[in-house]
Amino acid sequence: MTLRIDNLHVHYGLSHVIQGITLEAKPGEVVGIFGRNGVGKTTLMKTVAGWVQPSDGAIALDGQPFVGLTPDQICRHGVGFVPEDRRIFPGLTVEENLKLGLMQRNQRSRAGDRDAVARIYERFPRLAERRLQTGTTLSGGEQQMLAMARVMIGEPRLVLIDEPTEGLAPMIVAEIFAIIREMKANGIIVVLVEQNIAGALAVSDRFYAIERGHVVLTGDAGVQQAHDDLMRAISV
Amino acid sequence: MTSTLDFIQFVLAPQMITGLSLGVAVVLVALGLTIIFGLLDVINMAHGEFYAIGAYAALALGAVGINFWLLLLIVPLLMIPLGYLTERGLIQRVFNKPDRHVTTLLLTFGLALVLEDVLKVAFGPNTQRPSTPIPGAIEMFGIMMPNYRLFLILFGIAIIAAVIVIVNRTALGAMVRAAAFDRNMAASLGVPVTKVYAGTFAFGVALAGLAGVLLAPVFSVFPTMGRDFIFMAFTVVIVGGMGSIIGTVVAGLLLAQVQVLSSLVVSPVWSDPIVFSIMVLVLVFRPQGLFGRLGHA
Repeated sequence: MTLRIDNLHVHYGLSHVIQGITLEAKPGEVVGIFGRNGVGKTTLMKTVAGWVQPSDGAIALDGQPFVGLTPDQICRHGVGFVPEDRRIFPGLTVEENLKLGLMQRNQRSRAGDRDAVARIYERFPRLAERRLQTGTTLSGGEQQMLAMARVMIGEPRLVLIDEPTEGLAPMIVAEIFAIIREMKANGIIVVLVEQNIAGALAVSDRFYAIERGHVVLTGDAGVQQAHDDLMRAISV
Repeated sequence: MTSTLDFIQFVLAPQMITGLSLGVAVVLVALGLTIIFGLLDVINMAHGEFYAIGAYAALALGAVGINFWLLLLIVPLLMIPLGYLTERGLIQRVFNKPDRHVTTLLLTFGLALVLEDVLKVAFGPNTQRPSTPIPGAIEMFGIMMPNYRLFLILFGIAIIAAVIVIVNRTALGAMVRAAAFDRNMAASLGVPVTKVYAGTFAFGVALAGLAGVLLAPVFSVFPTMGRDFIFMAFTVVIVGGMGSIIGTVVAGLLLAQVQVLSSLVVSPVWSDPIVFSIMVLVLVFRPQGLFGRLGHA
């Protein structure tokens, strides 16, 4: 079971945002995607999730091609998406936001749903306390946890996470990275876009550096030389 | 003093009760309109014609001997496939075009004209008045109240309450609210958005059909009945806040009172201009309406 992105091209009107990206990730692997703003990281995530249609190339999870599928079909193939800005639904309570994530599961039962919700509340007691509050009344950190929890509840095989720690306090940031480690331990493929490069490298196995829609460098996150090369490649 | 009391009992109160039944009727038609707008961002110009189809379906099925109480169930069920196919077959085709508002507005307006003529061809241009399903009247607080009006008010309130509960308190409603606020995010959590869209449109159409069955004995049945009633429903939806369910209920009940009381106090010819002026004022000074939109906290 592997995520394989092959020679992906994406256009927004006339602008050629992604220009032939090839990427691979295996179960239990966290892959960091780095690059300056506007190089196509978020577009890459949205394309895998089905929000944006590529103009060329292939995306497949476990040999199942995704191109041309709708976001809900892609979701039901085991892809969870935690987008930038969390996208919590303001008209829904914390619990309603969370339970929406159950829709990702292909097989559902009343008892299974109840257990899944109970497990999430056990892991995130803060969400349990606030379950009847409107989702957007939570703090930024809590909203980020809710966004991750509502994906985890669907037991995905691949999770795409875009800028999860942006604007959050250091303590919460540590907690977010801890959740990503748990996902990895559960054998989930994690693709992580993050501006906090040091923090993200610490949880990543490998990384890709993107510049103007191209992969300019890939490397092993555990190697110091690779870090230095990465910093140079994305010139931050 | 007695004359004031007499005025309240014999003029004002009956008029306000008429206003209440009118308000409930308008809300029943406007609910589907506001839900469809809140979720799909589509102004369904054909909504009045779906209301008329409901009334004609009740007339036709009633003529072959089907009991009125059964029609309250059968007609909305028959409207569901009609609404579903309209959404999938027509609206979905133009939905992702850049100027969605204009294309869907014109498309549903065209559909309204076609449906109106189909009704004219099929049933003739004349007005028909179904007999009231519950004859008689009872005296309440010194006012004579037709039984059917009383039923209409109570049943209408029950339907409105049921719709509010379904949209705001069920898992299905949560899907609709989520899709109304952020279609992509809802889809990425597994919500089958195209089905939710078509299903919600069908639900709105079924509500319009149910309103048609319920109101036919009160307002009569004629091919342009939808057009006449829909202006009031649009006003209610705009004043209440496009896509707000609570707003629709509040605005519907209030504006119906404004209409009946202004025809009493000012003059019947002025009641429509007064009601539509309120809409204009709301559009100028509070264009978002009295309440917030579906799915938006």
